Amino acid sequence: MSTPDTCVRARAEIVRLTSGINGLDDSIEGGFPFPSVILVAGSAGTGKTTFAMKYLCEGAKKGEQCLYITTLSEPTQWMMRYAMQFDFMDPSYFDDQIVYMDLGDKLRTMKPNEILNVIDEKIAEVMPTRIVIDPLTVIGNMMGGDYRQFLFDLTNRLKNWNAVTVVTGEVQPNELYPTEIAYAVDGIILLLLSDEVVTRRKYVEVLKMRGTNHATGRQPIDISRREGIIVLKARF
Amino acid sequence: MNEKDLYLMAYLKDNLSAFDNGPVLLDVKSTQFVRVNLLLLKAFSSMPGRPGMFIAVDRPHHYMLHLMGMHQIDPQGLIFIDAISRFAADTKNSHSPANLLNAPSNIDSLPSAIRDWAGNSPHPAPMDLQRCRFAMIDNISSLLLYNSFNNVEVFLQDFIDVLTSHARVQIPLLVDKERNCMLYEAARSLCPHEISVNDGILASMSLTSKRNGIARIVDSNEV
Repeated sequence: MSTPDTCVRARAEIVRLTSGINGLDDSIEGGFPFPSVILVAGSAGTGKTTFAMKYLCEGAKKGEQCLYITTLSEPTQWMMRYAMQFDFMDPSYFDDQIVYMDLGDKLRTMKPNEILNVIDEKIAEVMPTRIVIDPLTVIGNMMGGDYRQFLFDLTNRLKNWNAVTVVTGEVQPNELYPTEIAYAVDGIILLLLSDEVVTRRKYVEVLKMRGTNHATGRQPIDISRREGIIVLKARF
Repeated sequence: MNEKDLYLMAYLKDNLSAFDNGPVLLDVKSTQFVRVNLLLLKAFSSMPGRPGMFIAVDRPHHYMLHLMGMHQIDPQGLIFIDAISRFAADTKNSHSPANLLNAPSNIDSLPSAIRDWAGNSPHPAPMDLQRCRFAMIDNISSLLLYNSFNNVEVFLQDFIDVLTSHARVQIPLLVDKERNCMLYEAARSLCPHEISVNDGILASMSLTSKRNGIARIVDSNEV
């Protein structure tokens, strides 16, 4: 069997989904490994939801199906009210490409297995390429003792589905990431606030990204209305 | 499945029914493999009396069954060859008519094993190749993780030969042309027919479903 000269790749290469975060993809060989589960961890105000929204809009822009699962019981319009401040957000994405699912009420009334089934059914219905669960750590607060088993089952199911799932995790200012989920995910991205002279600066750090030769160390970020999170180039 | 998916399923079904039996190459983005596999399974299952074979490489067959259940796809008549469950230590037993391979490596030996299974040997899921009407692999690209390119090439050739010599069987082969053009070219040399499920087609499904509700399928010539 002959192949054209332009065709030279025989090896299976990891498919990657661009994050949409300006400057981040260069640090992770072009994007998140597909499929995978990525934890985006940070304390309050570090930009976790902005990160997640930009990631979904990047997919919607390309015509991909996306699923946004909120654990906060926020009505769509409440979330949209803030998200619409960003230029990258197009409300028409929510007509078709981005499906919004509120898990908040179910967390109060359902057992862990039932919650998994509800998520599974929604994923089967939407067949998304990109999924966000924001914030995952709320589930831990409500679930108590079953949380670890739930996380194990959830990440297992998400990995079998062909999607890149971004889960956000809220941490205390002195914590790096929620340890109970870290072992089960394929990638960990930290969004950090650092006290510096008369100000606080924001940083991003790729702590773990399986199958990826990723950049190490903290990189400064900015959050702008136009692009959301931007990884700033090092300035000397 | 949403309206867009139903359009895509109808598009696949229409195109497949236009072809004779044998291998058909589908150019599909890697991120859409599961979706298209499910739509193909749904399309095949809606044609009564079409038993088929599904080779699971990317995910265990019981998860595929789980997804089929979610999409109300009847698994009756479907036989799985699961190349990953034992290897991944996910399960040692099959959940449905399935033959479990030890690993997805040495895939070039699978066609002769299928030939043996189709005989009288006692296996968990005996196969009647004469009745088999479709065969799918989830997915060929993943085989390259465990096998050399040459072995995958040999496997494809033998797999098609074994099946088409026993039955009138359709074999949709999903390859991402953009990501793995070498595999795509190898598969293309074996396939007389090709269906594109690229971004343009998917976008047209989206537009059509928005425009028409549930009315017509965009002709591939319009795209």
